Amino acid sequence: MSRIIFHIDVNSAYLSWEAVYRLQHGSQIDLREIPSIVGGDQEKRHGIVLAKSIPAKKYNILTGESVHSALQKCPNLVMVPPNYERYVNASNAMISILNQYSPHIQRYSIDEAFMDYSNMENHFLDAAYEIKDRIKNELGFTVNIGIGPNKLLAKMASDFKKPDKVHTLFSYEIEEKMWPLPVEELFMVGSRTKSKLNGRGIYTIGQLAKLDRDYIYSWLKKPGLLIWNYANGIENSEVKKGSVPVKSVGNSTTTAFDVETAAEAHKVLLAISEMVGMRIRDLNSCGSVVSVGLKNDHFFHYSHQKKLDIPTSSTNTIYKTAKMLFDEMWNGEPLRNISISLSELSSNDFFQLSLLQKYDKRDEILDRTIDKLRFKYGYNSVIRSCFLHSGISPIIGGVMMEEEYPMMSSRL
Amino acid sequence: MKIVAKPIEMICWFDTNQGIHPIRFRISLDDGSNKVINVEKVITRELEKLAGNTMWVFDCQSNIDGFKKQYQLKYELSTCKWILFKI
Repeated sequence: MSRIIFHIDVNSAYLSWEAVYRLQHGSQIDLREIPSIVGGDQEKRHGIVLAKSIPAKKYNILTGESVHSALQKCPNLVMVPPNYERYVNASNAMISILNQYSPHIQRYSIDEAFMDYSNMENHFLDAAYEIKDRIKNELGFTVNIGIGPNKLLAKMASDFKKPDKVHTLFSYEIEEKMWPLPVEELFMVGSRTKSKLNGRGIYTIGQLAKLDRDYIYSWLKKPGLLIWNYANGIENSEVKKGSVPVKSVGNSTTTAFDVETAAEAHKVLLAISEMVGMRIRDLNSCGSVVSVGLKNDHFFHYSHQKKLDIPTSSTNTIYKTAKMLFDEMWNGEPLRNISISLSELSSNDFFQLSLLQKYDKRDEILDRTIDKLRFKYGYNSVIRSCFLHSGISPIIGGVMMEEEYPMMSSRL
Repeated sequence: MKIVAKPIEMICWFDTNQGIHPIRFRISLDDGSNKVINVEKVITRELEKLAGNTMWVFDCQSNIDGFKKQYQLKYELSTCKWILFKI
């Protein structure tokens, strides 16, 4: 039985959500109709373009480039700061509409979802137009819906022409609709793969699809086979309910000023450890590999990691390990970005203790108590005294919200 | 009607069926004075979910300075704020 999969993708998500919210509160300007971007704070050096309007696209402004260069391309660009809580609300509202059409929904990221619409009574095209129009009328923003026999083709289809469109891409349409596209449009083909493929004269998805299977395997190995399958529309993963299991937890910060002393850097590490610790405990897991990444003032990035004997979720252990790693690799240069991540996660129900490493149950109790206090009275209800008057915020990292959403993932 | 989107102070009653009924509100004018307006008639009420943010929207009618005027009030659930949206 053939499947019908929908891929629902919000058009310039952050920007249209922001625009609709502002219109709802009486703004006279629709951000979607003027050159505008959602961007981080330049003063704090978080200045990159997170989303852009379609008129901004005409100035060749790219998502991910610096706000500074975007302003050079278009001096009267309107810039608004991001507000993740609003975006989560908008995303939830969209999912609750989708829930009325099918029980099989996978939230792929904050602005994308897959929906399995196989074996339904209503015709899928009617349903797709109805969903698209309901989202537009009730929630005020537009989406693209791609329909295909699997997740890959549905995702490719939703990317065709924007905004506010429904596209199909079934197996018999691949040759006509997908093969003429440039090869970098294919899911999982990034800039490096693109240049490799271009180097051997492969410029379109069709050219990739027509290559010999053994040839691509001997050349690019398993990832090559994956994109070859994708180019031929072969993909059969399930629409998974819920989100993909978390494999690692990490946070990073770009500091408002260059960090130049070890004492300052240690405080930043501690503040990030607080966040990472809270998140890992919230997931009821422990991690056994701590890694620290640094980016210097020339944007050069390097990192170190260490495997622990006992998996941990303790803020103190994460901090001590991170500090040790930092001291090992830092050579005194100014830093603009510091990150910590914890991986090789395991459940915290039971774990093997080690003779060589100290383990104190009281650490765990203390962390749990502090988490409870912070949850009840706010993040800043309990802070470490070393942060007083330091100018560094006591908990740093990421988007502060109760629920975590997967950002983009390379796995369908 | 023109969009003004001004915050207002409101007296309203909530019935047992989750219905909200605006009664009267106070608005501060540009010259610093306040004006109290009785909501004489609620013509329509609608739940708006734009961008996932829920607001009750009331189309109302009152006598203001001797003229019958229509206007729109909005109540934002997440913040409990009232605004005079259009008049």
